[in-house]
Amino acid sequence: MPLGTLDRQPPPFFRQGASALSRLLVCSALAILLMVSDSRFALIEPVRAVIATLLYPLQWLVLQPVLAVRAFGEYTESRDTAQQREQAAQAQLLAQSVRAQQVEQLRLENAQLRRLLELRGQTPPPATAAQVLYEALDPFSRKLIIDKGQMQGIAAGSPVVDAQGVVGQVTRVYPLLSEVTLIVAPEHAIPVLNTRTGTRSVAFGSAASGATALELRFLATNADVQEGDLLTTSGVDGVYPPGVPVARVEAVERQADAAFARIRCKPVGAVGAVTHVLVLAPAGADQPPRPSPTADKPAAAPAPRKGGKP
Amino acid sequence: MIMPRGQQLLLPANPLFIWGSLITALLATMLPLGPLPWLPDWLAITLVFWSVHQPRRVGIVAAFVFGLLVDVHQAALLGQHALAYSALTYFAITIHRRLLWFAPHHQAVQILPLFAATHLIIVLLRWIAGEQDPVLAWTAVFAPLLEALLWPVFSAVLLAPQRRAPDPDANRPL
Repeated sequence: MPLGTLDRQPPPFFRQGASALSRLLVCSALAILLMVSDSRFALIEPVRAVIATLLYPLQWLVLQPVLAVRAFGEYTESRDTAQQREQAAQAQLLAQSVRAQQVEQLRLENAQLRRLLELRGQTPPPATAAQVLYEALDPFSRKLIIDKGQMQGIAAGSPVVDAQGVVGQVTRVYPLLSEVTLIVAPEHAIPVLNTRTGTRSVAFGSAASGATALELRFLATNADVQEGDLLTTSGVDGVYPPGVPVARVEAVERQADAAFARIRCKPVGAVGAVTHVLVLAPAGADQPPRPSPTADKPAAAPAPRKGGKP
Repeated sequence: MIMPRGQQLLLPANPLFIWGSLITALLATMLPLGPLPWLPDWLAITLVFWSVHQPRRVGIVAAFVFGLLVDVHQAALLGQHALAYSALTYFAITIHRRLLWFAPHHQAVQILPLFAATHLIIVLLRWIAGEQDPVLAWTAVFAPLLEALLWPVFSAVLLAPQRRAPDPDANRPL
């Protein structure tokens, strides 16, 4: 038998290093420490950022074939589909241009009224366009990863919208990537305004159905909510700019024995299948400072209760 | 070395191949296919394979590091996969001497509880960490089953570079 065909180093008898059990104990203690500090304190965000930066080349490598397939699919799209899409876009443009013509006048009127009432002016927040790289594979977390990060000036807490409405909020920023928590994530809540009645409420992400849905909680059984009502951001949170569509009420269940109605909403934005998004700067910069929390606690936290801090 | 009768004597494993296969499995795990609960965890299978066949090279610490990478990529709680993979490799190392006496499809039956336990650990950790209602898709049951079914395939593929061309003669029956 030729040399080099067997392991020439016999296993050491005495120097075997730590036993498997002690290694497991050390590793699991470290893992538990990491988990606790990740969920309770923001101590290890730098560790995460370093690992994410190290992982970026690998992620880039994996994304290349996927992006190539996507690009190829777009390239070979049939002419009919392209024409249909163009017609739909034209129709939408026409519908929007009618409204846009009224905007100039409305803006002028709005500015005058605001001056009259001495309210603060609203300026559209600066925005950054970003591409969605992938949806987090973990079926528990409803998150997207986008291709803009600290280097492009993204800040944690920024609202993320697509062409139709709000998609989510940036909850973690890495040097070159950012994590977006979708509005349908169970830990996410967003203050909304019912455009038909003008009532404010908070829409919570709902994962109970496993689908993309939101839920209006803590609204009395006789609250004036109807199917088809459009919910927009109310702007009271200082995070989302006011007036961006969020969801449409899909079903209202009123039960006699329950104090609150069960109201299910469907997000307006393409939360599940979005490929390009717009990251807005948080609207809180030009708002007056909040009153001290001891005076009167706001009913709802605008930001996700975990992770992101607006 | 005591070996089961009829088992082929293997060439030494190439460290480059070991780490290359682990990184390839990591890349396969990172493919952006969207959240599919039934998708088998390629990295877990590869880690178990190498900790059964080369427990002195790939062990608990390597599993911990790969788990951290997966956690960061999946935007999950940091340390969740690290803990699950460490436990998985520990149990794989504890049973590795017994396991190698069986044929790959019999090994798969014995490995199945380990994979199931790994998925269970992750669900439990999410639950303890205060996830409101963890989405328990019933298709997630298929992930450990598929991983166990893939075990013979992984055994054949990952052991292929270590098999020698058989040229037995009168003096060398192996």
